This record gives sequence, C-alpha cells and structure tokens, in this order.
Amino acid sequence: MSGSEIFLQQLIIGLSNGMIIALIALGYTMVYGIIELINFAHGDLFMLGSFAALTVVGVLGLDHLAAGAPGMWLGLFLMLLIVPVFCGGLNWLADRFAYRHLRDSTKLAPLVSAIGLSFVFMNIGLLWGGVPMNVFSLGRSAASPKDFPALVSNANLLGQSAVEFTTKDLMVFVVTLPLMVLLTWFVKGTRSGKAMRAVAQDRLAARLMGIPVDRVIGQTFLIGGALAGVASVVSSVYNNTIYFQMGYRAGMDAFTAAVLGGIGSLPGAVLGGLVIGLARAMCDQYLETRWTNVLVFTVLILVLVFRPQGLLGSRAKEKV
Amino acid sequence: MNILEISDLTVRFGGLTAVNAVSLDIPAKEIVSVIGPNGAGKTTLFNAITGIYDPTSGAIRFNGQEARRPFRWTTALALALIGFVSGLSLVLIANVEPLWDTSITSNYVYEQAFLWSKAFSAASGYFSESPGQHFAVPFLIGGLIGLAGAFAIWQRTRRAPEVAARAGIARTFQNIRLFNQMTALDNVLLGMDSQLRTRVWHAALRLPLYWRERDESARQAMDILRFVDLDREANQLAENLSYGHQRRLEIARALAMQPRLLLLDEPAAGMNPAETQELMKLIHDIRERGITVLLIEHHMQVVMGISDRIAVLDHGEKIAAGTPPEVRNNPRVVEAYLGKTYEDPPPT
Amino acid sequence: MAARPRILFHWSFLIVAALIPLIELLLPGHPHVGDLLRPIFIMAMLGLGLNILTGFTGQLNLGVAAFMAVGAYSYAILTCDIYPFRLGFWSATALTVLVGLTVGLFLGLPTIRLRGDYLAIVTLGFGEIVEDVLKNLDSITKGTQGINPLPSPSWFGYHFRAETYQPWYYLFLAFLAVLVLLNRNLQRSRVGRAWISIREDELASSCMGVNPMKMKLLAFALGAAQCSLAGALWASYLGSSGEPGNYDFQVSIIALCIVIVGGMGNIGGVLLGALVIMGFNSIVLETVTNFLKAHQIISSSNVFTSPGSWKYMMYGLALILMMRFRPEGLLPSRQFKAEAHPDQPHSPPTS
Repeated sequence: MSGSEIFLQQLIIGLSNGMIIALIALGYTMVYGIIELINFAHGDLFMLGSFAALTVVGVLGLDHLAAGAPGMWLGLFLMLLIVPVFCGGLNWLADRFAYRHLRDSTKLAPLVSAIGLSFVFMNIGLLWGGVPMNVFSLGRSAASPKDFPALVSNANLLGQSAVEFTTKDLMVFVVTLPLMVLLTWFVKGTRSGKAMRAVAQDRLAARLMGIPVDRVIGQTFLIGGALAGVASVVSSVYNNTIYFQMGYRAGMDAFTAAVLGGIGSLPGAVLGGLVIGLARAMCDQYLETRWTNVLVFTVLILVLVFRPQGLLGSRAKEKV
Repeated sequence: MNILEISDLTVRFGGLTAVNAVSLDIPAKEIVSVIGPNGAGKTTLFNAITGIYDPTSGAIRFNGQEARRPFRWTTALALALIGFVSGLSLVLIANVEPLWDTSITSNYVYEQAFLWSKAFSAASGYFSESPGQHFAVPFLIGGLIGLAGAFAIWQRTRRAPEVAARAGIARTFQNIRLFNQMTALDNVLLGMDSQLRTRVWHAALRLPLYWRERDESARQAMDILRFVDLDREANQLAENLSYGHQRRLEIARALAMQPRLLLLDEPAAGMNPAETQELMKLIHDIRERGITVLLIEHHMQVVMGISDRIAVLDHGEKIAAGTPPEVRNNPRVVEAYLGKTYEDPPPT
Repeated sequence: MAARPRILFHWSFLIVAALIPLIELLLPGHPHVGDLLRPIFIMAMLGLGLNILTGFTGQLNLGVAAFMAVGAYSYAILTCDIYPFRLGFWSATALTVLVGLTVGLFLGLPTIRLRGDYLAIVTLGFGEIVEDVLKNLDSITKGTQGINPLPSPSWFGYHFRAETYQPWYYLFLAFLAVLVLLNRNLQRSRVGRAWISIREDELASSCMGVNPMKMKLLAFALGAAQCSLAGALWASYLGSSGEPGNYDFQVSIIALCIVIVGGMGNIGGVLLGALVIMGFNSIVLETVTNFLKAHQIISSSNVFTSPGSWKYMMYGLALILMMRFRPEGLLPSRQFKAEAHPDQPHSPPTS
C-alpha cells in the first residue's frame, strides 16, 4: 500500500473505533453533566454488555452461522435490542443502589462507591467467562479473552481497492449515526430531555419546579447505560474479541474523549471520541502500538492543563 | 490614604452582571458599610476583593497594588526552570532505551569496575551522533510544553484567595464557614497559618522550632479568643458553639491573620439586641487596633451606629455613598429599599 | 490538639506486633505466624502513603501501586549486579525515596489543581501507564522476568537471609513504626491542621491564607515517597523487582480498601485496615482455598468455586457497603466521623 493509502486506511479504522468510543463517552458525559459524578463503572458496564452480547450469540446459536447469512442480521438486530436494555437497566440499578443515597454526602463517597461497583462488575465479567457455554469455551479458563464470532463479514465494499471500507465499518456508522441524531432530538426536543438539562443546570431549582429529580437522574443513567450497551455490541462485532478487563481501557479512552470534547457537552463527547479514535489509529501505525495508551494519557493531561473545559465546553464560573 | 481603591469594577457571570462599574475608595482605619437590598451585588463585591472572583473589568487596588501574584524575576526563573527540566525529561524519555544501552549496558562488564567516564562519553557520543533528532527536537518540544503549561497554570492561579489573604485582607462569610470539626482554638490557629514558620521537616522531626512555635502560637491564639470573649470555649468543637459564638469565632479566625483590612459579611445576622451591642463594641475595638473594617450589613442600627461612611448598592450599581446622615436622607436609597410611591393606588 | 489519655490503636498495634515473634519462640513448635504479617506491614505502609493524600486532604489517588512499582524497580536497578550502581541497602533505599518524591512532584504539579474526581482518574491512568512503561522498556526492566537477583541487606556484617524471617520482620516493623511516627507528627502540627482544613472547606481555608495547591502537592509527593519506600522494602525482601503485573490496579484498590475500611485520616485506622484486608486476603482466602482443595471441591477449570476469583467482588462490595453504612471506617478519626454524619451531635475531645 502506498503512503496515502495507509493513511486513509488508518483514517477509516480510527473513525470506526472513534464512533464506538464516542458512544461510551456520551454515557459518561450525560451522567457527569447531571450529577457531576464520573461513573467509574461505566467502562465495565460496556464490558458486561459485550459479555451479554456473546451470551445472546450463544443462546441464539449465531456462532454456527456463516457471516452475512440472513439469520445473522436478525441476530444482530436482537442483540441491539437486548443488550442496551440490559446495560441501561444495570446502570439504572447502579444509580438506585450505589449512588442515590450518596447524593448529598461527602465528595469522596460516590467516587469510592463507583470504584467499588467497577470492581464488582469486573468480577461479574470474570465469572461470566466461566459459564459452561460453547461461546465461553465451556467455562474453561474464564479469565482469558473470548472470541466473538464474525457475524458481519469483512468484505471490502470498495471492491478491489487497497484501502478497505468493509461491511463492518458500514455497520458501525449505520448503527451509531442515527442513534446520535436520535439522542440529540431527545435531549433538545422532548420534555424528558428538557427535564434532564434542567436538573443538570440546577438541581434544587428543578425540584422546586416540580421535576421528579431522582426519576430524571435514573432516566439519564438508563440512557447512558443503553448507549454503552449499543457500543458494546458494535465493538464486539467489529473487534471480534472480548475480555473481562477491557472495561478499563474503554473507560479511559471514553473519559479522555469526554474531557477533550468538553465534559457535559454531547457534541463534545462525539468529537472527542473521533479524535481519540483517530489518535489511536495513527499512533498504532506511525509510532508504536505499545505507546498508544501512553499517548492517550498524555492527551488527557495536556487537555487538563491547557484547556480543562475541553474543546467545546465553556468555562463556567462557579458562584460561591 | 486609601487602603482599598475599587475602580470601575464589573463582575459578570455569563449573562448576569452582578457588579456594574462600581467605584469605591476605602480610607484606612475607617469603618465603612456596604448596604443595599438583597441581590445588589454586595457579597459578589466582597468575593472580588478577596480574590474568589476575577473581575470582568476594572481594578481593585489594595495599598496601591492589585492583589494578585506579581510576575517577578523569580517567577520567570521558576518557569524557565520548569521548561528546562521538562525539556530534559522529554529528551531522556524519548531516548531512554538506546541511551541506557550505549552508556550503561555496553560498558558494563560484570564484576569489573564501571567506568563512569566511559559511560558519559558514550552518552555524549550518542547525542552528537544526530543532535537534532536525539536532543534538540525533544528538548524544544518538552521545554515549550513545560514552559507553556507552567505559565498557563500560573496565570490561572494568579488571583487566588490566598494571595489576597496574605496581602492582608481577611474576611468572614455570610453563611458561617468555620471548620466545624476543629476546636475553636484550632480554627484560630488555622487563621494564623500564613504567619507560622514551621515547615514539614520541623513538624515531622519535632525540631525545637516546632515546639517553640506551637506554644507561642497557642498563646497568641488564646489572646485573640480573649479579645472576642471566647477564651472559655477554646476547646469546644466549632459546630457545638452557639450561633452568636460561631460568628465571633469567625471574626477571631479572621483577626488571627493580622490583617490590615477586615471584611465582615453580615456579622450581625441572627443576633439579638444584646449581642448586637457587643458586636458593635467589638468592631470599634478592632478599629482601635488599626484595622480598617468593611462590612455588609442589613441591620440598620449597626450600620448607622458605627459606620464612618456608607456605600449603597442596588442591582450591582453604586447609587449613593457618604456619611450616615447623608445616605439616610438620600431619596434614591429610600426608593431602593422601600420602592417608589405611586400617585394612584396599584391596580388590584 | 489535646492528647488523649487512652492508648491509641496504632501504638498498641506496633507493640503487639513487636512481641509476636518473641511469643512465638516461647510456644512449642515455633509457629511462624509472624511470617504472614510481613505483607501486612508493607501494605500498611502503602496505606499510610495513600492516607496522607486521601485521609488528610480528601483527594483520591487510585494509582499508589504505580509509586510502589517505581520504588521497587528503582531499588532493584540500584542494587542489582547486572547494573553498575550496586548500592547498599541504606543508600539505595534513601535514593528510592527521593525518586518517589520526584515522580510524585512530576505527576502532581500539572494535576493537583484538578477537581477530586478528575484527579482520581488521572492517577488511575498513571497507574496503568507506569505498568505499560515498565513492560515496554524491557531492555532495562527485564519485562516479566523482573530484575533479579538482588543482594540481601547486610548490617554490620549480618546478612539477611530469606530463610530466617525474624530480622526481616523487625526491619519492616521498624520502618513502619518510623512512618507511623512521622505521619502522626505531621498530623498533629500546623501541616496536618492545614491539610484537614482543606478537606473540610477548601475555599475558606484559602481565604485564611493557606495555599491549597501547595499543601495538596506536598501531601501527594509525600504519599508517593512513602509508597516507593514500601516498594523498595518489598523488592529487597523478594530479592527481585517483581514483574510489572504485580503492581497493577488491584494493589491500588487494596490500598484504597485499607484506608476506607480502616478509617480515613486515622493512622490507627490504616493499620487496622491493613490487618483486616490483608488478613482476609492472605490468611482467610488462603486457608479457605486450601481447605476446598483438600476436599476437592475446587477444580481448576471451574471459576465459580475457587475463592480467588471472587476477590474483586469482595473488595468492590467492601467499598460500596462501607460508603453506605459506615463511611468513616471501622476506626474513625473523630473529625471524619463527624463529617460523614453531619446530623448527629458530637462531643469534643477530652482535654
């Protein structure tokens, strides 16, 4: 491949992965925007979604299908229905049982609770890998990564060109783009969305206006979790592998993306996700893969030093 | 001589202009009250003076200088040093493996003495090989990032509350902000913190300076508590004190800073007449010690009773200033507090 | 602050710990219970390092394992034969503490201004970065092999050996006692007062002339130095730097559990927490695992029945439940308990 072809290829890979990161970052930023809590467990929620997706594959017998078979599309559709509900519900439960009662306590308490929850989720992932199903290698070596069957084919939609834009890449965009449009409409256009923005701006005032604050916060967790669920399905199908510690990496990337774009800003999360995805792809290609994580961390530090409000955020002065 | 000069100060929060082009001069050793209806911008003014808010425009000069960290040659030196160190660090980070290889691993033979000079020359050799790529580029990048980052952080923290505090401005808060789980004595000792010279090693190793200063500061703190008549409560937790005592403790803590200017934010709030009288006497005593007092107050008896001068704010603007009789009779002030009189009764 | 008449937990802990090997000598069969206590001392040191930042100043550091790794690897590089430095135990340890301090300063300078949750994530990321870097620079760090063997310390001609644990035991205990003393001295001084005021109300504290950034950075760097010391001691006992995977997130979380469960801001609480958490980890889990293995309930292919695979969940639940029911920890510092339960009346300390 020529130099520009390599670059274009990395561009495609970077954007596809970036969309996945963006979806996870959206969940982070929505929760942070509304209760100013970094949900440490969000990345691990994403991981659990992947395991749920693999379970659906196993239950429906999708691993026996050839990639591209019509039954496979139905299976994918079902996954995109079941897993987000699972993740959204789990996130809602997390808020209800781990965070809600800590809303007005010390600053440290919800953070510590979130870390604890992250660990609980990780352990669930570990144990899930030991479930005696074929897709989990019959429960042997629970801790090792699991293969996710190639449901969507790797066929190059650009025909014979050296640069590949595969069906997988298409799937990523087909799933994520409409979802983001839907989300924007929801937040800007519906009453629930307006209620969310109100609670994010001033919780007490929203309560005084009769908005059921706890319910709205729960809804936010639900939606954020569902987004992570979609991301986990897309990511599993795209990357064909899952492991119980992947939540950490996903969480770090998504958090960096959310901060880069401006925490609390939805378009910022998308922009940040794309930038991080691209940065990772470029670093993998032009530097060395082993330094990619260090690069992401460096980006995080640089953003926090030079522009803590992110690219699209505004510097809000706190009234004392 | 003016201890505080506020010139054309404006403080904006997004769309809300809390303070609008306010100018005020506070002469030294006077007691000046700032009054006005709620939401007039009084506490915002205090917060701007004490460095909590940055002015959107205008200036605040304390003893002729703006209360923010000055850019001295030591600052430039520190920034340059940070830039230099980060440049070097990036050079080391970018080259660590080959550098270690050539200077240490290749020269080291087990059990034989290691020749540091050889290592050093190997290292310099490595750099002179391609000085641009190995040294200059990472050094410049690292140095620039370090310098810019340090400058960005420094710039952002120039106007911070502790700068105003160390310049000699002390304050109390509208909603009492004591350190509730510390004793009254500890609260006052915290106020003295900026004058203490005990450092980490003195404290950790219990050097003589620690003991000397501990006894000396405890003595001084008790003196201050005595001054506000709280010496009997010295070992009570701040949160267990009565409301009136808490207000006095906040003042004691502020006095511990040995300020030149004391800002009191509604010190008489919630006090009964007896306590109010004591407060007025206390403020007089504070002025006797040479401290200028600026207070926000709604309690008109206190305001009229002790102020040398009064400034009136309404909707972020200064609408009147002068002696108590002047202000009391000012029609704009009356209007701000009581509203306009209507020719006809208001519509039902 | 007034001194309390009763004997404080941290002194009782240290005294009892000092007596254990002696008691063992008197018992028939010389049980080596003390051997199991050594990791507790090391983790207690780690906990103390975390406590300075988290307990006193209220900022979360989720990457203490990284500083421990820095300490272990620095010590290993400075003492191992394969590198030319070959320093003795004391100089290597002293230098390692300095390295830890420096790394803490490096990380802290750009980040200490950040809000609590941001700082937590940054330290979390730092933990992973250090692990990555140690793995990547394998020509220096020898990757998963680790840097070994390291010479045992020797004092006045006496060589420490791996077989006799008592000298190691007392060495670690001595270091722990010194750290406890230094931490306590700082806590009951102007420095500790400033730290606690920052935790209670940072804005009011800065209005009183305290520089919160400087104090937080100090706490961060001192904590890093202590964690590095713990790493150095651990490496010297192990005779190896260990591998990068030994200093992963799990270690940082264990340290966090120690501080949270034991009691934030309370030195005695940290020691208790180390006892409880590490006791559970090393002693209880080991015993249960051995028991289950002996009765053949465990099979290596079934992850559900091996107690080790439930560790994460237990640490996680410990944190969640502590925050729900007893956020001040088992042995609370008087101050933090009051902060955690703002609506209950509190008595002042006896003077």
